[in-house]
Formats: sequence, C-alpha cells, structure tokens
Amino acid sequence: MKKPFPAWILGLLGIFLLILAPFAYYQWPKSTNDDPAAHLPIKAVHVDHVDIVKGEFKTGQDVTRACLVCHPDAAAELMRTTHWTWESKAFNVPWREGPVTIGKINQINNFCIGSQGNENKCMSCHAGYGWEAGKQAQQANPENVDCLACHADPGSYGKGVFGNPAEGVDLLAAARSVRATTRENCGKCHFDGGGGNGVKHGDLDESMYFPDQALDVHMGGKHNMQCSACHTTSKHQILGRLIADNYTIDPREQVSCEQCHSGKVHQDERISLHLSAVACQTCHIPAMALEDPTKLTWDWSKAGQQGREDDHFSYLKIKGEFTFDQNVKPEYRWFNGNNEYRYLLGDKISEDGPTYINKPAGSISDASAKIFPFKVHVARQPYDTVNRHLLQPVTSGKDGFWTTFDWNKSFEMAVPITGLAYSGQYDFTETHMYWATTHMVQPAKDALQCDACHSAAGKPGRMDWKALGYAGDPIEWGGRK
Amino acid sequence: MKRQTLITLAGLIAFALATAATDVIGAPDSPLQSPATPLHPDFALLDASGVNVLESGQSVSTMRTCGQCHDTGFIETHAFHSDLGLRDFAASKESWDASPGLFGRWNPLSYRYLSQVGDERLDLGTAEWLQSNGERVVGGGPATTSRSGVLLTDLQASSEQVETSILDEQGGLTAWDWRESGTMEMNCFLCHLEAPNVLARAVAIRAGDFAKANTATLSGLGIVEESADGWAWNRAAFNEAGELKSEIADIQDPTNANCAACHGEVHPATDEPLLISACDLNYPQTATTGQVVASQRINESGVNLSGKAALNRSWDIHAERQLQCTDCHYALNNPAHVSEAQSNRPAHLRYDPRSLEINEYLRRPDHNFARGQSAQINVAPESKGSMRRCENCHEATISHQNWLPYIGTHMAALACESCHIPKLHAPAIQTYDWTVINPDGSAISDCRGVDGTPNDIKSLVTGYEPVLLNRTNVDGQTLLAPYNLITTFYWVYEDAKGNQRPVRLIDLKSAFLDNGSYAADIIAAFDADHDGQLSRGERVVNSPEKEALVKRKLSALGMAKVRIEGQVQPYSINHNVTRGEYALSDCTDCHNNPSRVTQSMKLAGFAPVMPAFDGANNVSGSGEIKIGVDGALSYSPVPANDSVYVFGSSRVSLIDAFGALAFVGTLFGVLGHGSLRYLASRRRPAHAHTHTQRVHMYDAYRRFWHWLQATSIVILLLTGLIIHRPDIFGIFSFEGVVTLHNILAVILVVNAALSLFYHLATERMREYIPRPYGFFDDSIRQAKYYISGIFKGEPHPFEKRPDDRMNPIQKLTYFGILNVLLPLQIATGALMWGVQKWPEFANAFGGLPILAPFHALVAWLFASFIVGHVYLTTTGATPLEGIRGMVTGYEEVEAHDEKSGQ
Repeated sequence: MKKPFPAWILGLLGIFLLILAPFAYYQWPKSTNDDPAAHLPIKAVHVDHVDIVKGEFKTGQDVTRACLVCHPDAAAELMRTTHWTWESKAFNVPWREGPVTIGKINQINNFCIGSQGNENKCMSCHAGYGWEAGKQAQQANPENVDCLACHADPGSYGKGVFGNPAEGVDLLAAARSVRATTRENCGKCHFDGGGGNGVKHGDLDESMYFPDQALDVHMGGKHNMQCSACHTTSKHQILGRLIADNYTIDPREQVSCEQCHSGKVHQDERISLHLSAVACQTCHIPAMALEDPTKLTWDWSKAGQQGREDDHFSYLKIKGEFTFDQNVKPEYRWFNGNNEYRYLLGDKISEDGPTYINKPAGSISDASAKIFPFKVHVARQPYDTVNRHLLQPVTSGKDGFWTTFDWNKSFEMAVPITGLAYSGQYDFTETHMYWATTHMVQPAKDALQCDACHSAAGKPGRMDWKALGYAGDPIEWGGRK
Repeated sequence: MKRQTLITLAGLIAFALATAATDVIGAPDSPLQSPATPLHPDFALLDASGVNVLESGQSVSTMRTCGQCHDTGFIETHAFHSDLGLRDFAASKESWDASPGLFGRWNPLSYRYLSQVGDERLDLGTAEWLQSNGERVVGGGPATTSRSGVLLTDLQASSEQVETSILDEQGGLTAWDWRESGTMEMNCFLCHLEAPNVLARAVAIRAGDFAKANTATLSGLGIVEESADGWAWNRAAFNEAGELKSEIADIQDPTNANCAACHGEVHPATDEPLLISACDLNYPQTATTGQVVASQRINESGVNLSGKAALNRSWDIHAERQLQCTDCHYALNNPAHVSEAQSNRPAHLRYDPRSLEINEYLRRPDHNFARGQSAQINVAPESKGSMRRCENCHEATISHQNWLPYIGTHMAALACESCHIPKLHAPAIQTYDWTVINPDGSAISDCRGVDGTPNDIKSLVTGYEPVLLNRTNVDGQTLLAPYNLITTFYWVYEDAKGNQRPVRLIDLKSAFLDNGSYAADIIAAFDADHDGQLSRGERVVNSPEKEALVKRKLSALGMAKVRIEGQVQPYSINHNVTRGEYALSDCTDCHNNPSRVTQSMKLAGFAPVMPAFDGANNVSGSGEIKIGVDGALSYSPVPANDSVYVFGSSRVSLIDAFGALAFVGTLFGVLGHGSLRYLASRRRPAHAHTHTQRVHMYDAYRRFWHWLQATSIVILLLTGLIIHRPDIFGIFSFEGVVTLHNILAVILVVNAALSLFYHLATERMREYIPRPYGFFDDSIRQAKYYISGIFKGEPHPFEKRPDDRMNPIQKLTYFGILNVLLPLQIATGALMWGVQKWPEFANAFGGLPILAPFHALVAWLFASFIVGHVYLTTTGATPLEGIRGMVTGYEEVEAHDEKSGQ
C-alpha cells in the first residue's frame, strides 16, 4: 500500500521557515558595493601562433602581409588610430584661423622637441615601418603597419631606425610569439617616452613592468591588470587620450575610474563631500615616481658643452642639463579634461613668464573641473629671437645637432622640413608642459589624509588655496559655491 | 652658590645653542612660518613701573604691558593655569595634600613635597618649588603671591619660614629673598607667541632669576638680549612710537605647540617623522598615558613600533582633521564657542543669542578653559565637564546605526574613548618605586608598552591597551572609560606633630647613598649576587631584612613610624582617538571571556607593599589588585562591583552551578528511571499486551504550536547558552546568535499568545486546570505509578483522552511552567531587550546585573523541564508512541474500559 505523504513534514518545514525567514531578513548581508573587479574586461583565449605562422620573413612588411591573411581588417583599423597617424583630429582653436591638428607628427613638446626631420630616431616608437620612404609613402601603405610592436613578445622583438625592425631580430620567432598586448608592449614606448625611463611621465615608468601593489594597486597585487584592462580596445581603437597631444578631449574617449568604481565608494561622508571638487587621482596618487625617478627639468641651453662629463641623471652633452626626482608630490590645478592652450608650431612665445606647451583648462568657477594632480615639466628650449617662436632643431642624423653640436645648422636644416621661418638668431626660453597624473594609483590606505591639504594651524599643506581661487583653506572658508 | 653658578653656566650654553637652533628653524622663507596675525596692533612694552622698557632697560612686566588693553587682573584671577591650587591651599589633617592643584598636591612621580607651615622637615620651599616646576608654571598665582595672599616680595627673607627658605644640598636651610629674585608674573608670551623662547625662560627659572623669566621668553627673537647690565632692547624691533612691531611679536591664539610646551608630545608638522620623548615627565601627558597629539600616520613616524607597517592611521584623528587644542579647550566666555549649559537653559529656548561682544571678550577673556571629566587632575571642579565632549559634536546614533546593535545601551555604559582609543602606540609610565633610589636620586621606574629602555631606538615600542574603569561624570552618569594605571611606592614617616609626610628625597639620599654611590651597608644588604654592584634587579625592597635596614637608617635620621606605602593612580586617556575602522567593533572583544571590560593591567613587577587605589577622583577602583605567581602586581576590573553586566563576560557562578546541577540531576534522574524501567520490562514475562486503541489525540493546530514552541525553546536555550558563554562556542557569530535569540523570543511570545487565545476560545483551557477535588489523592496515585507501577507494567492510573490528556502531576507542572516560568522568562527577556529603549524599566528591577542572572536561572529550569518532558513521552503505550502522537495526531493509548477506569 502506498503510504500517504506525511503531512507533518510540511508542518516541520513551516516551522523552520517561520524561524529562518525573519533571521535571514535581519542577517542578510547589507547591500554591498558592487565589486569593481567585476567590470574588468574578459580576455579572449590566447591562440598560440607557433604552429600557425610560417616563414620566411625578410622584412617587417613580410610579417604584416602574413598577419593580414587571417586578420584582413587589422591594418585598416590601425591606420585610423593615433598610434599610426601620430596626429589628433582637427580642432578649431581661438588663436588660429582654420582647423589644426596636434600630434608628435607636426607639433613639438619640451622634451626632445619635435620629430620632424628626426624620423630615423623618433619612429622607433611608431607602430609602423618604412619611414625612410618619407611621410606620404609611409602612411599610405598598409603593409607598413607594425603588428609586432604591440603583439610580439618584446623579448624577441625590437625596433631600429625609421621604425623598422632592429638589426638581427629573428622575425619568425617574433611573429610566432604574438599575443594580446601586455604592459611590456605598451611600456616599451610609454614607460620610456621622451627618450628614457620615466622622462615624460611621472606616473609611468619601467618600475611598472612588474609593480608591487603599493606602487600601483591595479597593475600590482592580485589583479595584475594589463594596460588594456582600463584602456579598453575595440577594432584597435584604444580608449584614453593624452592632453599633451590634444586640445579638447571628449569624455567618452577618456579612461575614467568610474568604469569600475561606481556608487558609494567612500564610507566616510566627509570624504564623499570632496568628490564634486577633487578628482580621485588627487588623493589616491599621493606621489609619483615612487621607485624610478622622473625628469622634472631639462635645460637645452647647456647642451654641447665641451669637457663636461656625461651622467644619465644630470647632464648629457647631446641633451643638456636635467634634474630628476623620486617620490614627487604632484602639482594641483583645476582640470576639466581639456587644454586651455596647446602650443602650436609658429605660436609666439610668452613675453612675460614661461611659455606653456600646454595648459590644463578649468577653474574654480568651472563646475566640470576638479582639482587634479599634474607633473609639470620645465624646460629651457630654443626660440627665434626675431620671429619670437620656438624652434625645432634637427638633432639626429649625421648633420644633426647631436653630431655637430651646431644649433644654427640644426635650425636651418629644419626650415624646409617644418616650414617654420628661422632668422638666424636664437636663444633659450623657459617652457612648461603639464602631464596628468593618473597611474600609480596606490592602495586606499596610502591615500592622502586630511592634513595633507588642510591645515587649520595656517601651515601650508599641498594645496595653494589662494592660487586655486579659494578665499582660504575650505576647511574653514567653505568649498566653492 | 657653586651649584647656582654651574646651573647658570649650563643654562647659558643651552641658551646659546637654542638661539642658534631658532636661527636655523626660523629662516625667513621657512614654510612653517605663518603670516603675522594682522589683528593685534603694535604695543609698547612696559616695565613694572609702567615705563617703556626702551627707556628704562628693565625687565618687561606682562601685567603692565598687556594690561594697557586687556584686563590682566581679571585674566589672572580667572585662570587656573595661573592659580594652580593656591586659592584652595589649606593644610589638612587627613591628607598631606594642601590643595588639588600642582601647588599643594603631592605628585608621587615628581616626588618632592611642597612643605606646609610648621612641617618638621622642609622639603620644597615655595622658591624651590618654583625653580623645579616653573618651566611648566605660567606665572602669577603662587609665583607671585604667598599662601596668605600677600605678595611674595613683601615677605621678609627668613630661613624659618617655608615660603622664604630653601633646602640646600647639605640639608640646611637658607633664607630666600624674594625681593632679590623677583617673582614671575603670568606670562602671556608663553602661550600667545608662536615661538616663545622657553629654553631661556627655563634657564632663568632654574637659576631662581624669576624676575627675568618673562623677558627671557622674548629673548632670541630679535626683541631683546641679555646684557651685562640687564637687558639690551633691540630698537629696530620697535616702531617710532616705541611700540613693539606686531610682525615681530606675532601675537596669536595659542597653538598646539604652545600647549605642548607644558602638556605633552604634539607634532604639528607632517613630513618630519615623529619621535616621542616617552616616560619623560617634561611631557607629562605623554609620560603618564602615552597620548601623542599628531596628525601624522603612525607608520610614517620615527618610532620603532611593533607592527608599524599596518598602522596607517593617524595618531589622533582630531589632529589629522585639523582640530586645535583650543577648539575643545576654549576660553569659557569665548563668544565663538560659548553656549549655555544644557542644565541652565530654559526648555523652551534652543539658542540664546546674548553673548559677549568680541571687544568685551578680548578685554576680559576668561582664562579658565573648557575641560572634560578626567580624573587625575582634581583641580578646578567648577569648570569640569564644561567642554564639548564627543557626544556634543558627534551624532553617535547615526554614525553607528548601520552596524551597532543596542546603541543606546552601549552609549549609556561606555565612554566613546573605550572603543575609539583601543590602544596607545607609545610607552607610558607603569611604576615609580621610591623605596629604593638610583645613585642619581631618581626612582626605580618602569614603562609599559616598550621592550627595553624607553627612548632608545633599539627598544621595540609595543604600545599598550588601556584598562577600562567606571568613571562618574559631573552629571552623575557612569561610563567605562580607558585609563593608564601608575603605581607608586614610597616611604612615609610621621613627624612630631603626628603629620604623615613622604620621606624627603634628601633623606632617602642620606640613607641610600654615600658620595653619589650606594652606601656600604646598603650594598651589603641588597647585593644578591655579591658582585659589589647593585644591578637594576637588585634595587628592590623584597625582604624583611632590607626593609628593616632602610627603616633603621631612616629612623636614625630622626623620622618616626617609617613605613612603605603605595598607591595606584588612574590617568585618563581621551586623546589619540581613532575612527571607526580602527576602533573596537567586534562584539566578542567585550562579550567574551577574556573580555576588554575585565582585561587586567600590570601594575608593577614587584610590590614591596600592597598599594591602595587612589580614591581622590571620580574613578571607581572596585577591581582587584592581585599578586601573580611571578610576583607581579596587576589590577583586574570587576565590572559587577560597579553594577555593570556584560553578556558573554559577566556571570553569577552560583546560579550557573545551581542550574547545571538541576539540569544534570534531571538527566541522571530520568536515565536511572529509564534504565530501571528497561530492566523491569526485561524481567517481566512477555504477557499479553495491554489492549490499546488508536485515538485522534492532537488536532493539527495543537501539533503545530507545540512543535513551533518546542523548536523555539530548544534553540532559545542553545543560543542563550552561546550568548552566555561565547568563550566555549567561539565558532558562532555573537551578533548573529543574539539576532536569532531575539527573533525566536518574538516567535515564542506570539505563538504562546495565539495558543492562549485558542485554548480560551475553545474551552480547551480546562484541560490545564487541575480539578481541586481529590487533587492530592490523584497526584499521589500518579506519583505511586511512576515510583512502582510503571516498573510492574501496570496501566496508567488515568486515561489519556483527547478532551482530558493530562494526569494531575502533568497539570500541576504545566500550571507552574505556564503561569510562573514562561511569564518570568518573557518578562525578564523583554526587559533586557528593552534596556536599549526604556532602560528605566529594567533599572526598576535592578538592571542587567539582576535580570540577566535571573533569566539564566529560569533558562536552566526550562532546560531541566525539557529533559523530564521528553523522557515522560516515553511512558506511553510504547516508548515512541507519545512522540508519534504529537507528530501524526493519532496515538495508541491504553484502552481503559469503563470499569477498570474511574
């Protein structure tokens, strides 16, 4: 006989439900912030190319042709990016008629000054081959796209003159090592920008190949994030723009902390109140160049001096005098993500005070601006004392300044290339360039605390409140209205 | 006089060094230099006769100078910093303390005793008191005025009087001429200049040049320098009108550094690693408690601190968040801070706008400063509790609402500091033992919170956890608050007038030392390892022979009734607050055994005598002072003595013993009864089974409420046990268990109420009511059955029927449980839960210390009942039939035919 289902089991379940339901209600973990790590992009599974790639490769272009067999759109995609063009989209700027573009291809900075006429050296960081053919021809040919620079194991690949593979590189081995980009690929150019480790950026240097968590909480520690985790990429178009080579930047083109960190990120309401005026980076990057020093000043006027001993951190005959520093406190400015000004080739220099190569936009009255940390690179670089614009020398090559140490000649050589007038008279002037500090984000426990900026005792902290436009320390005078 | 010269010489060298140092520190573009306060105008410096010092070349008089605009007389008479107990100074028969302040209260750490008029032996005369304490005395009060109220300079120099004599090296008395030394006016510059020259001032004070002290404070600042014939005033620092330029004398509100000069370690700069002068009485607050006011992160400081890397919090959250000492300890009539005391304010007024105008305030600022409730300084009781404390600025109920249960209960029992100052990360004084002195005349002292010598960079600072003591606030509230305990031992004698006095340091030196090293007989008695030296460990009175020797030597110096005394003094800890993240927030930090609430504190490595807990304060020393097996002395708080009951930590062992006995007794009882039944049934011939019949005994609702109640009670007992003894059941989350207990309690009460309604509504209540008629006879019949009948296989004396299920004993038991135990348990439980909202109800029944043990007792009785109850279910037709009946509703019961029944 089939036993009827014992009703008492239902009763028992009811009893437990009656007890457990309220307990669960009270004990259920209170809503927690969503896990930032959940926003990390999911990486495609690596396909080992060792058995796929066959030789033989004599030139870089041979490799690219092989890549394009399976990845036919890759070159066309890349050629639409600034990694290829080295040039921004066209901007209308108030101090010039007609649209202008900004990039390493046509403008100058205050490090090695400019790439025009110096392609044999500068293009070792360009994602393309064949610069010996000249800009027009080089840019037109999809086979010039250098897939290996970003996708080969940097241990098996390196670039030499005119963007071509370095002498002696085993191109087959390099091509077989291809994979998704790593910190090492990006770091090859971005950690050594400006001609050496930590020269350009205070927040990006070779210490980040294998960073500790205390150095960079994202790239070090448990997440071991690669650059592409934040600089998400679609069709070779990489998210993130530098203000150094742009005028304004659409926020949608920019990497932001909010990609992963959203909601109530601080428990302390007092800290949350800061968020409308203070960028995340300001507190979470208390200092840059934590391990490797970064270049802070560069005096070109001292270049070429006879009999001075070369020293990587203080003087090189070809480049002049520098200062480097470690554990550098950033400088703080209002910043809305754009430049207020970007020096364009031919712009007049400032007659009072330094000439700004770029100047971040924003002020206390700009609601979209926040206080943001910058590295300010101060240089003394050449200008035409008659035409009163900055000069771009030809430095590389057998007749360049680095060989002849003849400034006049190097400026004259540049005239047909840049089209910039040179009167024959030059001197040196101070130039400032701003670099946003956004990497080397340190663990929350090392973030700035109140007394770093605020000081009721009247002793100055990190912030120059008056310069930022406040009446005084906002801890006493209140924040911006 | 030779000594004086030496001091002066040493002073001059120190002064020169200090001047050099200030030159470096005060370099013109130093970022630390704050801009001059524009508010304070240039002002003329006047001497004591009111003449500009530029003309007279005399010392400056602060009373005259500042008195040009400010009512210095008012300020001096409204300043405890100046008075220091002089106003209350009065000899007492009971105590050797003549006042509650620095001037008159004996401090066993600094040891020297300010002698009273008529004392047999002079220890400190007023002049020497000022010399040795003056660095931390603002001036005015006892520095200018005698105990009788006349000016010190009006006293005739005489070695007969305590106020005009001084003890010399040889123990002789020398007259002190106050007219020659001058006195020390209240020194406004000391607190109102950014960088007063405290070193030069200290040199003048130590040398007894009191008249020079205030002017010395200005020296080295470009204003004045000491010259061969008095003072050389720097004309360039003055304007054309002969007034000191305001940019030179930057008169300002007192900064943390000003307060620090006398009170303890303060570290305003952020980049320079903090170093601590620990256990150094020049920094008394830091020495006695380890409190350090600094905004710097602990792991960025220069202290060799254990576990330092993880200590990324600031030393003091308030310093980090830019509060100044004066933000809490403000002048009591400062219109920016003043608010009418809650107690004085009419209930219908939120705010009274009438306050001093700023100019009135600046003329007569009250220099009594708002202060908290702390214990060790018994001074100025009228301004005690005048400060805004934590709760006046912080809305604790909001900041704790997301996680802390029973907020009200916790806040009513705990000072904020108890959790928010979980640990001091600096050493603090533990013991000062004056029963033996070091060859330099210092006490044998110990520091807690450091392995090795304090201030040696090789010593690892471990920090220490304060002890929690019950403090009674001025408003009568008692709260547990963190303290350091400092234990002192010292020799005491009775003078010719029968006054108790601490044995003078000079007499101790005579007894112990001979030309700066230990006397031969002392070495003979104390040198345990016979190496001719007294090591640190040998400098201790740990045998009757040693005690007798010292006593003999002190008696030989003429002192009567010499004996050792000791006291334990609590030093309150209120600074070094940390934010929630680093505060104690785990329930089982306190609700456990061991518990922070009962955590003991080491008092001394060795106790020559049992010390007494200093009672002259608002702290309860109701705990136990015990000597451990290693001879070390420690203090263990006993919260129960202060009517504090902490779940998981407190318990009444008598009740637990009784309860456990009842439970185990019942268990053994039923086991014995059951075994006998089993044996009896084995021996009984397998005769025919009693005739049984299947009866629908329990309807669905009865079964449901029974099992719900059973489950609730069992889990309530288990969770209650865990709450009672979390130390045994460490794997459970205390918070979760408390929540479950409370939820079950609600379910139990609702279930009981519904069941009561059911029984009343259906008249089934009758089953529970014992019928008075023949009740005793019936009960005896039932008892007899359990005692004998049941073993013989006799049928139950009473039939179990759906409408009358219970036998008389059962009815009696349920009558008791439902009318006594259950209501009592619900009531005590509800009162305990209600402590957070309506503590007055719980307090009406004696509060937690009565309710909680009572609740535990009833719980034990419930547990015992359940054992018996479950056992008795096995006495049905078959052992499991009773339970089956309650599960399925149908039970096989003995069929009593009409005759054999009743």
